[in-house]
Amino acid sequence: MNAYLGVLKKRLSVSFEYVGGLTILLFRTIGWVFAPPYKRFQLFDQMKKNGVDSLSIVTLTAFFAGIVLALQSAYTMRQMSAEIYIASLVSLSMTRELGPVFTALVVAARVGASITAEVGTMKVTEQIDALETLATNPIKYLVVPRFLSLCIMLPLLTIIADAVGILGGYIIGVANLHISHHLYLKKTFDALVYKDVFTGLIKAFAFAAVISIVACYEGMRAKGGAEGVGKATTLSVVISCILVIDLDCFFTALFYFVWR
Amino acid sequence: MIKISKLCKNFEGQEVLKGLDLQVNQGETLVIIGRSGCGKSVLLKHIIGILNPDSGQVQVDNQHVAALKGKDLVKLRMKFGMLFQGAALFDSLNVFENVGFALLEHTDLPEAEIRQRVKQALLSVDLLDIEEKKPAELSGGMKKRVGLARAICNNPEIMLYDEPTTGLDPIMSDMINDLIIRLKEKLKVTSIVVTHDMVSAYKVATRIAMLYDGKIIAQGTPEQIKNTTDPFVRQFITGAAQGPITDQRKLENGL
Repeated sequence: MNAYLGVLKKRLSVSFEYVGGLTILLFRTIGWVFAPPYKRFQLFDQMKKNGVDSLSIVTLTAFFAGIVLALQSAYTMRQMSAEIYIASLVSLSMTRELGPVFTALVVAARVGASITAEVGTMKVTEQIDALETLATNPIKYLVVPRFLSLCIMLPLLTIIADAVGILGGYIIGVANLHISHHLYLKKTFDALVYKDVFTGLIKAFAFAAVISIVACYEGMRAKGGAEGVGKATTLSVVISCILVIDLDCFFTALFYFVWR
Repeated sequence: MIKISKLCKNFEGQEVLKGLDLQVNQGETLVIIGRSGCGKSVLLKHIIGILNPDSGQVQVDNQHVAALKGKDLVKLRMKFGMLFQGAALFDSLNVFENVGFALLEHTDLPEAEIRQRVKQALLSVDLLDIEEKKPAELSGGMKKRVGLARAICNNPEIMLYDEPTTGLDPIMSDMINDLIIRLKEKLKVTSIVVTHDMVSAYKVATRIAMLYDGKIIAQGTPEQIKNTTDPFVRQFITGAAQGPITDQRKLENGL
C-alpha cells in the first residue's frame, strides 16, 4: 500500500511539475511577446510554415469529416424522415466542435511534432546554449514566433475547416440525400449564430497556445541526442492531443453552462 | 578578471562540481584539462551564465554572474565569445547570418557594415566567400572555424573554447591551435580553453589547470604541469591506462 502511495505521490509531483513548467513558459512567452524588438520576418516565416503549409491537410481532413458526419447522421435521420436537419447538424457540429478540434489535432501532429523536433535538435546540439552566449533569449527568439504564428493561424485554419466541412456535408446532402440546394444552404445558415463560430474560434486560440507551448517546452527539455529528440517529439504530440481534447471538454462545458 | 569561488553544481543528485576555486587573469590563456564528463563544459557554462550554481559564485570583472538579469546579463554576455564543441551553428541560418548573429540581433549597424565585419571575422579564420552556404554544406573543420568566426565577430574580451580540437584531424587541430594563439595575440583576449587534448593544451596555454573530482587539483605553467609529480595529473597527461584515476573509478564502481 505504501509503495503504491509512494508511486502515486511521485507521479502526481511529476505531473504538477510538468504543468507548472508549461505555465511558467506560457507566462514568460506572453511577457516576451510585448518586448521589442519585434521580429516580423520570423513571424511571417513561421506563419507560412505552421499555417499556410498545413492548409491542404486541414482542408482534406475537414472535408472528409463533413462527409462522414452527414452520412452518419443520415443513417439515423432517415428513419425519422428528418434528413433536412442534417444541414444544421453538420454546420453546428463543424463550427462548434469538429472544426476546431480536428484542425487542432492535425496541427498538433504536423506542426507540434515539427516544432519539438526542431527545437529539440537545437537543444541537444547546443544551439540553444549558443543563442544564450550570443545574448539572445531563447524564448524570445524561438518560442514567441511559433506561439504567435499558431495563435494567428490556427483560428484562420479553423474558419477554413468549418467552411470545407460544411461543404462536405452539403455535397452529401444535395448529391446523395437529394435535399434541395437552396433548402440545404438555408438550413445551414439559419442554424448558425455568431456565437457558434466565435466559441469555436476561442477554442482554436486556446488550442494554438497549448500546442505551441507544449511543443516548445518538450523541445527545450530534450536531452540525449537523436533518441531524446524522438521521445520528446512523441510526447509532445501525445500531450498536445490529450490537452486539446481536455480543453475542448472544458470549453464546451463552460459555454454550455455559462454562455448559453 | 574571472574569479570562481567554492562553485558547486549537481545534476539529478550527481555532484559534478564540488567547491571549485579558480582565478583567470586578464590576457592569459588558461587551459582546463580533465577527463570526459568531469565537468569542464559545465564550468564554462557557469562562467557565461547559462547555468546557475547550486552554491558558490562566479565573478566576471567583479560582477556576480548568477545575480545578473536582463540588460546587465546581455551586456556581460556581449563581452564573451564562445566556441562550442560541435560548433553549434544555427542550421536554419547561412554562414553570414550565423557569424553576424550578435550584430544583427543587438546592434543597429547597417547590413553593409555587418557584412564587412563578417568577412573580416571569416578571413581571420582563413575562410573566404562562404557567406551564403548553410552549415550542412560545411566540413567539420570549416564548421569549427565558422563557429570561431561567430565568437570573435563582436570583438569579445573573453574567449571560451569548449573542446576546440575534438573530432578534427591532427592538421586541422593544429590549425585551430594556431588560430587560438593568433586571436589571442591580435585581439588581446583572455581565453579559457577546455580540452583533454594535451598537444593542444601545451601549445596554446599560458597556464594549465586540471579538473578532477569536481575540483581543481593542480595548476601551473605548461612546463610545471609537464614535470609534475602528482600521480593523478601524471596519469592524465601521459594517458596511462593504469593509475590512481582509473583505480579510484574502479573502487567507486565496486570492481
